[in-house]
Amino acid sequence: MPEILMKGLTKKFGGLTAIDSLDLHVKDGEYLTILGPTGAGKTTLLRLIAGLTAQDSGEISVNGKPLGSMPPEERQVAFLSQTYSLFPHMDVWKNTVFGPVARGWEKKKVDVIGREMLEMVHLYERKDAKPGELSGGMQQRNALARALCADAKILLLDEPLRALDARLRLDLRYELRKLVKDMGMTAIHVTHDQEEALTISDRIIMLKAGKIIQSGTPQEMFNRPVSPFIHHFIGEANFISGRMTGYNDGHGILTDELGTAYRTAGSQLEVGSKAVAGIKTEFTVLEKEDKQGVNTFSGIVERKLFLGRFTDFEVILKEGAIVHARLPSSVAHKFGEGDAVFVHYSPERLIVFPEPEKGLKSELEMV
Amino acid sequence: MEIRKRISDIISRKRTINAWYALVIAFFIILVIVPTLFVLTYAVTGWGEIQGQIFEEPADPTYTQVRVIGNGSFVSLSAPSIMDITDPEHLELSVQTNNSIEVVYTIYAVDGNETDIYYSVNSTHTQNGSAWVNVSSNSTHNEITHVGDVFQNITVLDSNGTFLASWEGDLHLRAGNEKPWDIIMDSLKFSFTIAAIVTVIDFVAGLPMAWMMVRKEFRGKKYLDTLIDMPLAIPTAALGFSTALFWAVTPGVDAWGSLSLVSSPMLLVILLHIVFSYPYMVRSLSAILHEIDINYEVAAQTLGAPPLTVARTITLPLFRAGLVTGIILCFARSLSETGGTMAALAMLTPYLSELAFPMDTGPTLIGAWKHAGGFEPQLAFTAMLLVILSLVLLVIVKIVIMRFKMPLRKVFPGPERLLSKGIFPKMKDWGALIFMVIILIIPSFFIISYVFTGDPVPVDWSAFWSAMGYSFLVAGVATVINLIFGVPLAIYIIRGKNHILTNILDVLVNVPLIVPTSALGISLGMFWGSMNVGWAIILVISSHLAFTFPLVVRNVAGALEELDPTYEETARTLGAKPMFVFRKVMYPSIKFSILAGAIMAFTRSLGETGATLSVVKSANTVPVYIVDLVKDGSYYPAALACLVLIIITFITMMIMGYIAKKEA
Repeated sequence: MPEILMKGLTKKFGGLTAIDSLDLHVKDGEYLTILGPTGAGKTTLLRLIAGLTAQDSGEISVNGKPLGSMPPEERQVAFLSQTYSLFPHMDVWKNTVFGPVARGWEKKKVDVIGREMLEMVHLYERKDAKPGELSGGMQQRNALARALCADAKILLLDEPLRALDARLRLDLRYELRKLVKDMGMTAIHVTHDQEEALTISDRIIMLKAGKIIQSGTPQEMFNRPVSPFIHHFIGEANFISGRMTGYNDGHGILTDELGTAYRTAGSQLEVGSKAVAGIKTEFTVLEKEDKQGVNTFSGIVERKLFLGRFTDFEVILKEGAIVHARLPSSVAHKFGEGDAVFVHYSPERLIVFPEPEKGLKSELEMV
Repeated sequence: MEIRKRISDIISRKRTINAWYALVIAFFIILVIVPTLFVLTYAVTGWGEIQGQIFEEPADPTYTQVRVIGNGSFVSLSAPSIMDITDPEHLELSVQTNNSIEVVYTIYAVDGNETDIYYSVNSTHTQNGSAWVNVSSNSTHNEITHVGDVFQNITVLDSNGTFLASWEGDLHLRAGNEKPWDIIMDSLKFSFTIAAIVTVIDFVAGLPMAWMMVRKEFRGKKYLDTLIDMPLAIPTAALGFSTALFWAVTPGVDAWGSLSLVSSPMLLVILLHIVFSYPYMVRSLSAILHEIDINYEVAAQTLGAPPLTVARTITLPLFRAGLVTGIILCFARSLSETGGTMAALAMLTPYLSELAFPMDTGPTLIGAWKHAGGFEPQLAFTAMLLVILSLVLLVIVKIVIMRFKMPLRKVFPGPERLLSKGIFPKMKDWGALIFMVIILIIPSFFIISYVFTGDPVPVDWSAFWSAMGYSFLVAGVATVINLIFGVPLAIYIIRGKNHILTNILDVLVNVPLIVPTSALGISLGMFWGSMNVGWAIILVISSHLAFTFPLVVRNVAGALEELDPTYEETARTLGAKPMFVFRKVMYPSIKFSILAGAIMAFTRSLGETGATLSVVKSANTVPVYIVDLVKDGSYYPAALACLVLIIITFITMMIMGYIAKKEA
């Protein structure tokens, strides 16, 4: 049963550190997503696990056995790229039994396992088709059957849904997870699409500059981000910089430079320390009237952007700050460009972080 | 099965693979690069000879007083130690006779194994006194091949032709009273001028053709596409002969449709070089044109620019990479070509016999000197200059074209709109087509007309087939070795982890493609000669190996670059060993490029003259056989040999193409 443990894993490319002494434990049968901006080292991590790139230091072990410099073909780790790398010149059958044939298994055994796997993914009837003739979903199933046939216990997926169109992507997300779970594999899935990560994973790992900055369930990642960066990356957020000036009822109070006080969620920060508070745009409420009294600020709708199910509002507050709010389109008709509105932050949703070392702006940069 | 698995395990071991790559790189360095550039070391090791033999003024002839006495008569004359074959010598003969005698003054030229009478004069003397012997070159034997050491003979016979006495001595024939330096410079100037003119014409005529092939759809495009490549399938020696038959003034040679227009060696060589370099230019330009997104042109046109303005200001500036490739390929090919040029120039020689000395390009000069024997410093020096100049030129062309700001910014709305409409675009297209037919296609195949309308002469087929066998053996062995080492090297260049090394190899691979083959042959001959490799055929094969090696590597590397490495990586993670990945995943995707590389290497080797003639004195390959026939004036057998060679080459290519199609 595959359980992966990484200790002090480091990989440098020239002067650039792609993976920086990373420790990670992937449980057996877990569907883990690695989320992060471009250049965070996500793909490098997968390649290290697959043995396609050699680490500079550190160790990867599977089920307690260190892999060392074991070549990729002996690791039982299937690496699938965006297009699943189905070999274009082979039909579905040849693709599926590629692993067993490569290992030189007996023909009888190959036929049995190939058939079994293809039937499991409902592709046996299409065994003579070339990958190009299959739909996106079938290709995905073919790729999984192939990985299983090759006796792979660990599945590494490098942005597997990226090349598909939006609608199909949604459907296949669900199917992918189901198949992996049914087959009892351990999957590591790399993506930079936060929505995909939230819907598909047991656990998400946030990678930035080769380091894990947070690990948790989708809910934890969404509701309790540990840094402004994650808060902003998984769903957009509005931020306020200031100092913690006190606590009340389990709520914190943060006062910005202009002296405006905000009620925030609870935190461990000391009173007087510099802090940043952020709220997701989905939880930023727009109102016609000031109902709540607390955390409500008046402003003018500067721009209204229809996104389909949601509508984005850009509001300029009186003090000049720009706030974004994302409302369901069903209620968006209430506000128009130029309207005077009140912006309300629910204190529980206004999460407080210590001020980032290099300032808020550089923290939010995607690289 | 077990053993196969064990073997594949061993092959797939990382250490085995690394050792294999090391071997391949070593092969490339030792058998291709070092021999190609070895001649450069002569600048150090042979500097004394270069100074002594190339820069020094040639010595004036010294005269030896020779007296031949026989049967009471004697003849005395001052015999020269050196004679310029371009200048007639006047020798004073003093004859003392008691009877009627004949004096025969003969110069024997030793040409390979044959001894030829280079010059012979017979004079009868019945009384004492002095006479002039006008030693001028014999019109059928004034070729440069006789330059070198020869011996002279003076014989005295009586009136009945009975031998009385004779004298023999050594004579050095030289080509003109010039410093070798001047001869070398003249030939290089000739070569570079021709290459430059050819490249410019190729570009001007090739651009509309490339444009038409990529941006236009018309009936018969497929056939035109094949037609453009035709000259590449014909060995250049045959092309040179065929082109000269069509264009050149060749008194006494009848062929239906022959123009007999050109009597200038330079013009004829230019016409020939266009034939085989034009396809390269069109191919390079259309390849890059294919890459340029047509949307830029569409955008510019919708913004109001007429097609000519669009082509000039939008497309051409994006063209540079293709232009660099095209120019370098054309220039290098023109600079390197030997056999065709030799054949064409030989065709003009009878007509120009009063012209003291036949023109030579760098490669034909090398061929002639090598053939004559000796001349080592001259050969090494010429080869060295060719290597250096061609490499320097490569770098300069690259830099100039990439940096040069083309004066394309300015727009001339009126004239450009006018030129974009009506008859002008049609004129451009038809012009390009007509150019191709008259300059390329007809001269390439003109030989057929000669074979059918010329006067038949019996042909020695056994010599032809033995030459054919030799050529196929050389081309075959070179191609197979190239495949064995070229494919792994291409894989290493594209997939290798050590990027500094792969980049260096990537650049080095092009070197044998740029260096003129005759210079390469000299260099290679010096390298192996210094190692005492005796067998001529090994030298010929290794020279053909060197200049065809890049063709295989470039083709395969190009295909690999396109191939997404994730397929191979996925295959590895699915449990396939490297060798299995190569066979099942990589090979199916690149096999056509491997085949294309093999065909190119094979046909190029089959048609090569320069490398063959510069690495050994004479080798029995088909192009050499053809050139020799043309030089001897045996045009009809040469034409038949060419035709058979063309047919065999086409059949070979068609079979290979058929195999490729069947495989797909």
